[in-house]
Amino acid sequence: MKFDISYTFDAIPRLLEGAFVTLQVAILGFTLSVLLATTITVARTSLNSKIFNSILAFYISFIRGTPILVQIFLVYYVLPVFGLNLGPFTAGIIAITLNSAAFVTEILRGGLASVPIGQFEAAKSLGISGYALWRKIILPQTFITSIPPLVNEFTMVLKATALLSMITVVELMRVSQQIYSANYHPVEVLSGTFVIYFLMCFVVSRSSVFLENRFIVKRAR
Amino acid sequence: MTSNFLELKGLYKTFDNITALNNVSLNVSKGEVIFIIGPSGCGKSTLLRAVNWLTPPDKGEVWLEGKLVGSSSSKLTIKEAKLLNNLRAKMGMVFQQFNVWPHLNVLENVVRPQLVVAKRNKANAESKALKILDEVSLHNKIDEWPDHLSGGQKQRLAIARALAMDPILMLLDEPTSALDPELVGEVLIVLKRLVNNGMTMLIVTHELGFASEFGDRLLFMDGGEIIEEGSPKKILTMPKTKRLKMFLKKLDITSFKH
Amino acid sequence: MLEYQIFFDYAPILLIGFWLTIKIVVCAIALGIPLGLFLALGRRSNFVIISFLSTSFIELFRNTPFIIQVFLFYYVLPFYGLRLSAEYIGVLALAAFGSAYFAEIIRAGIDAVPKGQLDSARAIGMTDWQAMRNVILPQTLSIVIPPLTNQTLTLIKESAILSTITVHELTMTGLMVQGETFRPFEVFIMVALLYWALNETIATIMRKFEQNTKKNRKAGSIGNSSTTLKKSTSIK
Repeated sequence: MKFDISYTFDAIPRLLEGAFVTLQVAILGFTLSVLLATTITVARTSLNSKIFNSILAFYISFIRGTPILVQIFLVYYVLPVFGLNLGPFTAGIIAITLNSAAFVTEILRGGLASVPIGQFEAAKSLGISGYALWRKIILPQTFITSIPPLVNEFTMVLKATALLSMITVVELMRVSQQIYSANYHPVEVLSGTFVIYFLMCFVVSRSSVFLENRFIVKRAR
Repeated sequence: MTSNFLELKGLYKTFDNITALNNVSLNVSKGEVIFIIGPSGCGKSTLLRAVNWLTPPDKGEVWLEGKLVGSSSSKLTIKEAKLLNNLRAKMGMVFQQFNVWPHLNVLENVVRPQLVVAKRNKANAESKALKILDEVSLHNKIDEWPDHLSGGQKQRLAIARALAMDPILMLLDEPTSALDPELVGEVLIVLKRLVNNGMTMLIVTHELGFASEFGDRLLFMDGGEIIEEGSPKKILTMPKTKRLKMFLKKLDITSFKH
Repeated sequence: MLEYQIFFDYAPILLIGFWLTIKIVVCAIALGIPLGLFLALGRRSNFVIISFLSTSFIELFRNTPFIIQVFLFYYVLPFYGLRLSAEYIGVLALAAFGSAYFAEIIRAGIDAVPKGQLDSARAIGMTDWQAMRNVILPQTLSIVIPPLTNQTLTLIKESAILSTITVHELTMTGLMVQGETFRPFEVFIMVALLYWALNETIATIMRKFEQNTKKNRKAGSIGNSSTTLKKSTSIK
């Protein structure tokens, strides 16, 4: 069988719609993940609770030690058992958020460690504490240092969205499956899909350099 | 073709906008010991690294015993690359940072190049290695790992490694600059012996006392050029150019006669 | 609420799937690491074509989801007359995916070796390949083992995706058991625990290994040490 690129081109419009869904899922999931991870990071530093740290350690170890596909299945199949019938899209977002948050927490931990202790002390002596301390002084520095690993994590999230096809979320991967199961030209359709994923991830990872340069002025070092 | 032992012809080299070598030419006779001094960034290391084509110059040629080591105008064919490697084996190079191989023990450091480059058999390579390590006073360290050696010992190992290849020319790039003062002497002893055995040597150094005692010729370089050239004693006692005078003043030379 | 019987009844079949997971990952790294070395050297090559092809391969496999690579392998290989079983396709796909990451790890390792090492190797007359083999790569080894192990852990997790092309590894087996028992919680917890246990085991071994090598390097002080760690004079 010869490779017929017309099938690829024909599939592009629908594939791009799927890609749009992919981006939505990724951005939503990553945003929630960062919010969750930030909360955890602030709590971890402020609370200094052994119980909290143990639970956190267990959570991170679980997420990092198991395949994300299994985590997705766990959320999708298990939540209904407990009465939560959320549907594939929500289940997928939850799984991705929980997964990514564990990694972002570790990233922020590293970023936080690079903020000099003097920052906390100087702020305290100026009477800045609590919300303002974090929002204006600590977190900005943490995030700027963490830009490269955060961008990398976002590409991981982008790639993970493809797995949601396994729980019937209609993102790019699923769309491509729908197309080629109808026209029996999986190679042509998958090739187009491959290229679209590649462009998305490649552009994102190159943006890391761009973002770093944009924020480099703010680094007083 | 040339009858000189080592000939450097018209070497130019720029890095970004800095001229490291500006039309440098040099003829070296067999058995000559030449010391090169100068402020940092003057091109001394670049010159040395051009001799064995480690840092190929942008323009110029290097000839060793009538054979072309490298020319900027010719691209390296496989045959020429092979010749270059053969010639490099005849030029022993010793670095400021020693560059001994940490994953091989002392004996292996000296044996491996003999096996791989000179293609000697293991027995010959080992016996030669043992002999040379004895000459540099490392005979009791042959099982040691380079990590456990002092700086002076590492440098002596580096010299032994180079000598095992039976070089006809030794290139030494600040061999003692990275050593604690009390370890310099043990390396100088080894170099002294090499000089007395008639080895042709190009040495970049700050050890002016050593230079004046053992050098046949002293080169003062600055800005990529050889500014003054002559017998070490004459140059160091009677510097002609302002640049050399300033350089010597900076080193605070009241007496260099060690 | 929790049907403990499930654990006992279905553990054996899950372990069979687990065993296939292990076999697949072992084969994948056996293929992937040499390929990664080849790609790393290719990337640094002076021949533009080799360098371009290596870099392209690496970028293509690092910037796309593994699942689509798996599907492409699954549908494309028969095109070229390669009628392989899903397991073999899975191994090839995982090896290719892994090699792209291994390549970057090895490349970073090579770059981490001090430049003077290459200088001294070239200065003594070694060809580039001799320098690599005798001086650079041996030093790269100790640098790259931790990140290579890390990547292996990633491959173990990515292997779950092979369930999408019906390879009967652990995840697929889990899905089948789930389909039979309708007890997703018990089943997927068992599956997750098996992955997690394998992960932790390898990670712990690696940590111990790293601590051990750090201890060995610290021993022996400069200048007066006559202790030797290895009494062998074996020349390889």
